[in-house]
Amino acid sequence: MNIHINGQAFTVEHESSITVAAALKLYFITAQQSTFAVALNGDFVGRTDYDNTLVHNGDSLDVLLPIQGG
Amino acid sequence: MSLTIYGEQLSSRLLIGSALYPSPQVMKQAILASESQVVTLSLKRQNPNEQAGQQIWQYLQEIVSQTNGYLLPNTAGCKTAKEAVTLAKMSREIFQTNWIKLEVIGDDYNLQPDPIELLSAAEQLINDGFKVLPYCTDDLVLCQRLYDLGCQVIMPWASPIGTGKGLMNPYNLETIRLRLPEATLILDAGIGKPSDACLAMEMGYDGVLLNSAVALADNPVMMAKAFAQALKAGEQGYVAGVMEQRQTAHPSTPILDTPFWHQN
Repeated sequence: MNIHINGQAFTVEHESSITVAAALKLYFITAQQSTFAVALNGDFVGRTDYDNTLVHNGDSLDVLLPIQGG
Repeated sequence: MSLTIYGEQLSSRLLIGSALYPSPQVMKQAILASESQVVTLSLKRQNPNEQAGQQIWQYLQEIVSQTNGYLLPNTAGCKTAKEAVTLAKMSREIFQTNWIKLEVIGDDYNLQPDPIELLSAAEQLINDGFKVLPYCTDDLVLCQRLYDLGCQVIMPWASPIGTGKGLMNPYNLETIRLRLPEATLILDAGIGKPSDACLAMEMGYDGVLLNSAVALADNPVMMAKAFAQALKAGEQGYVAGVMEQRQTAHPSTPILDTPFWHQN
């Protein structure tokens, strides 16, 4: 299946869905120590739900971090 | 003379943004010089493996720690209520605050807020326990609606974001102040000069939120100090009570015993 994380395409072989936690491992090279928050297809996914929320083919994850703002 | 935002007492009436500074070091120096205790910031797509954003985040945490201050996350870039609500929830998880500077933009050219989406987002967020600080146009009825929904703080614009044009429509802003005496009114966006901020405070506004005016100054740190002083001057002028304007001249110097009186 194919998913997008922050607009970047990822292919997951032999799976019809994976958890948000598993999807994030595709994106993070180092340990997940950064301050970030996640949305799946535009809906907020709380940190406590990463293990029980599924990402399916065609889904899109947003991983957002703090940045300067006005 | 302190500013109260959703029950939190602040010693400064200036809220300041964290963007557009020449460097993180200048940002920190300028924010500290401004004496502000509320710093705005945002969330964007970033790869957590890249450390650039982490440095800014560390600076902001240091600033808030030093000032006993507060972070005010915004929903910049959102164009629908749904986007803004999602971003607000993400901000709440990261920053551990119910405060949200609610921005829902309706026009790309002048970054004018979309009043319909703004009201919808404000209602959803208030129902979810957020303390909403909506950035809005200087429309009295919109401000009234936001206040009626439960927004204790209303933030009408002075002029479009980043223009530095100052108070485009003082009549509208004065009307909002007069008609919503209980609301905490913070003038947000478009401030260019310290005198703009002073004018807002002389009108009786409770505070000013700005970013570009300080960050894009030739000397951001000095400009931050100037704004801090301007807000204090304007507030004291308002509290002291400005004299009423008069149609005709009145001599300041007593006319009794004026020399050469009726000699010509």
